[in-house]
Amino acid sequence: MTARIICVGNRFVDGDDIGPQVYDRLSLMALPPDVDIVDGGLLGLNLLRFAEGADRLVFVDSVFGFGREGEVLVLDAMEAADGMAASYGHSCGLAYLLRVLPEVCEGGMPQVLLVGVEGSATEPMISRAADLSIKLAEGEKGL
Amino acid sequence: MTQKIIRNIPLNRVEGDLDIRVEMTDGVVTEAWSSGTMFRGIEKTMVGRGPLDGLVLTPRVCGLCSICHLKAAAKALDMIARAQVPDDAIRLRNVAMIAEHIQSDMRHGFLMFATDFTNPAYGNHPLYDEAVRRYEAFKGSMVVETIRETKKLLEIVALIGGQWPHTSFMVPGGIASIPDAGDLLQCRQVLFRFRKWYEDRVLGCKLERWQEVRSSADLETWMEEADTHRNSELGFYIRFSQEAGLDRYGKGHVNFISYGSLDMPRQTEVASLGKGNVFIPSGFAAGTQLHSFDQEKVAEHVHYSWFEDYGGGKHPFEGETRPYASGEEGRKYSWAKAPRYDGEPAETGPLAEYIINQNPLFADLAGKKGPNVFVREMARLVRPTLVLPAMETWLREIDPSKTSYYARTNVIEEGEGFGLTMAARGALGHWVRIKNGQIEHYQIITPTAWHASPRDSQGVRGPWEEALLGVEGKDLDNPVELGHVIRSYDSCMVCCVHALRKNGHHGKFLL
Repeated sequence: MTARIICVGNRFVDGDDIGPQVYDRLSLMALPPDVDIVDGGLLGLNLLRFAEGADRLVFVDSVFGFGREGEVLVLDAMEAADGMAASYGHSCGLAYLLRVLPEVCEGGMPQVLLVGVEGSATEPMISRAADLSIKLAEGEKGL
Repeated sequence: MTQKIIRNIPLNRVEGDLDIRVEMTDGVVTEAWSSGTMFRGIEKTMVGRGPLDGLVLTPRVCGLCSICHLKAAAKALDMIARAQVPDDAIRLRNVAMIAEHIQSDMRHGFLMFATDFTNPAYGNHPLYDEAVRRYEAFKGSMVVETIRETKKLLEIVALIGGQWPHTSFMVPGGIASIPDAGDLLQCRQVLFRFRKWYEDRVLGCKLERWQEVRSSADLETWMEEADTHRNSELGFYIRFSQEAGLDRYGKGHVNFISYGSLDMPRQTEVASLGKGNVFIPSGFAAGTQLHSFDQEKVAEHVHYSWFEDYGGGKHPFEGETRPYASGEEGRKYSWAKAPRYDGEPAETGPLAEYIINQNPLFADLAGKKGPNVFVREMARLVRPTLVLPAMETWLREIDPSKTSYYARTNVIEEGEGFGLTMAARGALGHWVRIKNGQIEHYQIITPTAWHASPRDSQGVRGPWEEALLGVEGKDLDNPVELGHVIRSYDSCMVCCVHALRKNGHHGKFLL
């Protein structure tokens, strides 16, 4: 069982920097042997290469409107993306990747989860999101 | 009774930082304004930094053509350092850039442009159902194939430059990476596989057969010659577009510009498409009148842009980027400047390259009906036929056991240089001045700046604005024709932030 934690966002934009900050935190932690971490930045569709070949994917990203300010949520990413407007464009992002992933993923389709953080990143939220993403990558349920 | 209305046209898949406003009289566009709605300001960011910082920062201008920005930045520094770039470094710079071009061309063609063929506006088109099968969002057969194949093609960039996008492997004097024989063999294998897919699925024939198509009559013959031609993506594009009348609008100014691209190694079997030391020739064409290119004639105007006025146009070495967004709302309407060549607006990109290298097919097609949506997008779809063979040859010519990819250069303390190239979307230039070991001045003119240009100080429209004139919008709530015009230029206004936002019952990503 291999898992990847893919942290996405823009570290220069307040409110969109939670993914990179969680990546920084994870990179200082001792990770389980079968868990890789990826600084996904703003790669959007070009994260496809990192999505393939894993059994489980955990994305970490900023979210709006899914919970309360300051909340760290776990979403079934495929379900969340299903109702989203997402068209291909030069700036197409995670929504497009998630929508198209079942069609284009080479190899088995991984389980896909999203750790979403509402609002600006704070130290406790970064820690919580980092811990959550590891537990999800290891397959813990009921979080 | 004449009905005149002015509307902002919503256009997706062209970037969120673009507004197109049109005046329509009895359903026909009679005036247009193209507005860039985001201040970029990268030039201001560069000032005061180290001379090499442009190699890292400017590729971040765009996630789609980051190698082209790297190339322009490196060439400007090559000039200042008086670098003698080794032949094999030139080859690998070219190969990486072509790989990026082709992925962009294929993704634009089949994920962005052809998606409009599934628009309900074409519900009565005889090929509509087939278009949906091929181009439906997320699951169309060609959508899936294009994503998979372009992903693999970009492995070439990763093998040469370590990553894509935003690699910084080009440096003044050559490249910083040292691809070995295994890396180069892998590049050749990836390329071999891509070429086969391109020939089988996009062209429906070998490259060599396509290169024999030299006129509109040849094109008709090619279409009738085999089912594989008619049913290929190119064949389908031609059939759908002609039935839809895409060859009847989107003309523009009929001026074309190319800075020239893909530096020629001193020793190579590849023949330039024109004259001089580049594979893609430079030039400026006013209609069929071809002129040699002189970068001294490039200037940017800001009379209608949200920058402090300086009167007329300024060459990029003298250019200023002083945002000024207040008090002139009635006149100024864009964050894009207005690039001009010898005072003229110009179209750039694949069609411009074909016109300037005097390709007989595109000279014939554009000559008979003028530039239009159909021919502009077709130029993009078949551009790989020009560059794939050169790419193969350059990779084959490298002997990694005998080569050097870097030549030591002078320390860059003072000087002025420019790096000009052709990005996937057209002419890209970086103009740089270094003083006391720091960047004193940096100006970038992107291809989309040429296309999205607002009016200049003479009041002359930009290329998109001109190309929209005369276009009939059959349904103003679904202006697919206007979208075709803008998309045929493969616009790229550059993106920045993203986040996941829930909207009512459904979330959506903001980009």
